Amino acid sequence: MAEARITYPPPRTAWDRYNPIRLIGEVSETRYWMYLLLLPSALLICAVVIYPTLYGMQMSFREMRLNRPDLGTDWVGLKHYARMLADPIFWVSLRNTAVWVTSAIALEFLIGLVAALALNRNLPGSKVLAVLILLPYFLPNVVAGHMWALMLDPRLGVINDVLVHLGWLAGYKAWFADPSTAMAAAIVVEAWHSFPFFTLLILAGLKGIPIDLYKAADIDGAGPFAQLRLITLPMLRTVIAAAVILRVIGLVNSPDLLLILTSGGPGRSTQVLSLYAFQTAYKDFNFGYAGALSVVMFILLMGFAWAYVRLSKVNED
Amino acid sequence: MAQTRSRSRLLWDIVSYVVLIGLAIACIGPIVWTFLTSLKYEADIVTKTMHYIPPRITFDNYVKLWNQSGYPVLVINSLIVTSVTVLICLLTGTIAAYAFSRFQFRGRTQLMLGYLVVRMFPAVLMIIPLFIVMRQVGLLDSTFGLAVAYTSFLLPLFVWMLKGFFDAAPKELESAARIDGTTRIGAMFMVVIPIARNGLLATCVFVAIAAWNEFLFALMLTTSQGSRTWPVGLQLMVGEFQLPWGMLAAGGMISILPVIVLFAIVQRAMVAGLTAGAVKG
Amino acid sequence: MTSRFDRRSVLKMGGGLLAASALLPRAAFAQSTAINYWHTFTSQSEFAGLDEVMKLFAAAHPEVAVTQENIPNPEFMAKVTAAVVSGSRPDVTMVSSERFADLLAMGALNDLTDKIAAWDRRSDFDDVRFASISKDGKVYGVPAFTFVDWMYYRKDWFDEAGLAPPTTYAEFRDAAIKLTDPAKGRFGFGMRGGAGGQAYVINVMEGFGAKLMHEDGSISLDRDKAIEAVDWWSGLLVKDGVVPPSAPNDGFRQIMEAFQTGQTAMLWHHTGSFQDNAKLLKAGVEFATAAIPAGPVNRVSRLGYAYNTATKPETIDASWEWIKFWGEPDAAVAFLEKTGYFPASTKAAQDERISGNPLYKPAADTLGFGIPSPSFPGFAGWSESVVLPAFQRVLIKEATPEQAVDEMIDGLNQAIA
Repeated sequence: MAEARITYPPPRTAWDRYNPIRLIGEVSETRYWMYLLLLPSALLICAVVIYPTLYGMQMSFREMRLNRPDLGTDWVGLKHYARMLADPIFWVSLRNTAVWVTSAIALEFLIGLVAALALNRNLPGSKVLAVLILLPYFLPNVVAGHMWALMLDPRLGVINDVLVHLGWLAGYKAWFADPSTAMAAAIVVEAWHSFPFFTLLILAGLKGIPIDLYKAADIDGAGPFAQLRLITLPMLRTVIAAAVILRVIGLVNSPDLLLILTSGGPGRSTQVLSLYAFQTAYKDFNFGYAGALSVVMFILLMGFAWAYVRLSKVNED
Repeated sequence: MAQTRSRSRLLWDIVSYVVLIGLAIACIGPIVWTFLTSLKYEADIVTKTMHYIPPRITFDNYVKLWNQSGYPVLVINSLIVTSVTVLICLLTGTIAAYAFSRFQFRGRTQLMLGYLVVRMFPAVLMIIPLFIVMRQVGLLDSTFGLAVAYTSFLLPLFVWMLKGFFDAAPKELESAARIDGTTRIGAMFMVVIPIARNGLLATCVFVAIAAWNEFLFALMLTTSQGSRTWPVGLQLMVGEFQLPWGMLAAGGMISILPVIVLFAIVQRAMVAGLTAGAVKG
Repeated sequence: MTSRFDRRSVLKMGGGLLAASALLPRAAFAQSTAINYWHTFTSQSEFAGLDEVMKLFAAAHPEVAVTQENIPNPEFMAKVTAAVVSGSRPDVTMVSSERFADLLAMGALNDLTDKIAAWDRRSDFDDVRFASISKDGKVYGVPAFTFVDWMYYRKDWFDEAGLAPPTTYAEFRDAAIKLTDPAKGRFGFGMRGGAGGQAYVINVMEGFGAKLMHEDGSISLDRDKAIEAVDWWSGLLVKDGVVPPSAPNDGFRQIMEAFQTGQTAMLWHHTGSFQDNAKLLKAGVEFATAAIPAGPVNRVSRLGYAYNTATKPETIDASWEWIKFWGEPDAAVAFLEKTGYFPASTKAAQDERISGNPLYKPAADTLGFGIPSPSFPGFAGWSESVVLPAFQRVLIKEATPEQAVDEMIDGLNQAIA
């Protein structure tokens, strides 16, 4: 850092006055600096997202059935929202979404944390193990979904075969045909695919915790679990909070994996809100109702994020 | 005292190994199975008797995949989309994350939530209006347009994750530099970003993977072979009247190859950063 | 003299103009019109067939340049919807029968009635081929090929048990019961209860007399007959146990694999999957084909068509050249040779390669009595997002046939409201 050591204010020369680096340096000392830093990203996001979001929201207050032009596209107020309250499929989907998201997140976080803690011990060979453990995340959803469908297949599935050989199963099981196992199987696939997200994030966060803290705790005689509770988790608070919120949003909004594995079946036992909105829009062409479903998902997510940020105190130092 | 500590360390080392090896097997098992499947003839996959080791080996699936899917074009498109996305995120997101991490200002919490909010509206419903916007600005069916669309929902991910890493970077070094007369921007580029470079790398890797694997936007916003990405090409093999397991598995194997290469490079840089001891607070 | 000369010269000039104007469209084409073609072909054989047709077309019509663009089948409607709404539609789109009503209502299709009426190949096609692409006397497309519903059965197992292929639902159920043998891991029938299974539920309901669309144009579902049908069809799993327990999640892939791996004795699908089965089982020895059995009230075998339609009005003339080219026997037979898909043109279907093959006979017969699937705006959505889950709920014993049918009727009323 020696070369950065200059006396301030340095002597001004004619060149200095127009030196762009210097000018930016000066701007960076003004009180609007942080807003300037935020400007490019904020502009970009607004340019791409604002109009589509508003458009989607206004659809929810209109009659918008693309295959029924005879009905027009008039404003219908809260009609779609009223219908939703009385729609049993909405409530089933809401319940399934809650199960799907909480179980998947809990599983992913737990495995991710354990893996990160183990990797952070820097044991010989852990670099190779790290790469192996992170591999599932590199697979596209399309591939992960289809390959698990093959492995869990009631006729061709290797997992069934292994379980039968181990004596844990009497015969091949159709995991996705039984409502009592369909959701659980889908959650396992999702957790397998996405837990490395937590591992990598937590691992990177762990590297940033000063070792001195642990040394001090050792001297105080704190055991490993106490250290985890008192040092590690609090230090990782913001990283974990960000990871959880981002994953929740991803899980609530993307129907990819369930679309491949179950399409919401059997019956409606794996029907989640994102899938329902997708089907309403692109199978029933009822964009008004799909818009209303989306708005409700949006509000639920906002509520969750707001509460979570409050409770986890991400924004306090 | 010292002896019990080393004994408990040994115990935890063993536990760690058991956990890591168990997880590695669970992670790699399905991928190995995918690989084995990709070497099988269709008749050895769709069969009553389970073959753990392919009874006969064929590379036909890879050859067919190469000939049918236009793999090179698809992968180049994916690479372009991914790099542009990461680049835009780096340029605009790094400074935003820094601002959120280092400054207290009015509306900070609200703004941060605002960045998240844009990710919350279901993509399914945003697609048609986004389609209209892209068409009006002439970015429909182009790799750049797709990258811009990705940026809109990956940038929040980038900013939030990176903010966490900036938060974790000790503030003392930065304060020291500031006392020495460095400007804020100087401190940002010369002190904070180097300290948080592991986090920066990890964040870039996530954004890159997300962009590489994204399906729905890619499907909807591109049509021609010239701008279509790899996951869409992969999904196209799953026809209405066929599901070619061998080819699909081959596609899966090929699709992780570039990512593994990228990760190998990044991993080395990450390790180098760690051993340099930059993080010691 | 002068006046006569004048008149003659005027006539001459007029004739010249007429000839020139007749040439005009051709002249415009000479600059080569580019059109793009959206389709859902995926397999190698389908692409080989498409390539062949495009090659023949390029030789015959150098003035129209066709670019093909394949769209994943499950996301096809989403993609077309977005294209129509945003005004970036393709020139020509392949439309299967069940998608016609929704696309027409969306305003995606252009009227081709006059062009088809004036077409010299029109007489090669039976009128019924156009039934699923017509509304209110207007025709919107030309069939490219046909999928004929039929049944595949394990000939070796049937012979072994001394059974003949069933011709009625009752015989079908008997055969399924007789061929089910848990000890051998054999089931009588591979039911499609997962993705795509809605079509069979609707067919069986119609087989029991619960027709959806009535002569007077009204749409409704006869509750009692529908319940009887759902009870019988789901009963194959929940009462008779002649269907693999995986049925509630078995889509096309699974029923095919169940048949190909020797788990099931019978399979209902259409001609499109013949070659796939023939790859893994010996045609004529291990498996054979038969017409779909008749229901107690109606005989329901569907004829599904892939139509080519003009989706962009501006390029309709160039598009028409490509659309009608699929009706040329040369193109249809070239496509058949690569894919095994049945031509829609009656003339092409009389080709020796088809009529001479006994395995194709049930399909040729079905062409005589087969009927198109019901079609009205909202039908596809209702059948997929209401009928199928409701039926699955019966399969997993979460609902009774009565509850499921009530759910279907409610959904139907909402869809057509």
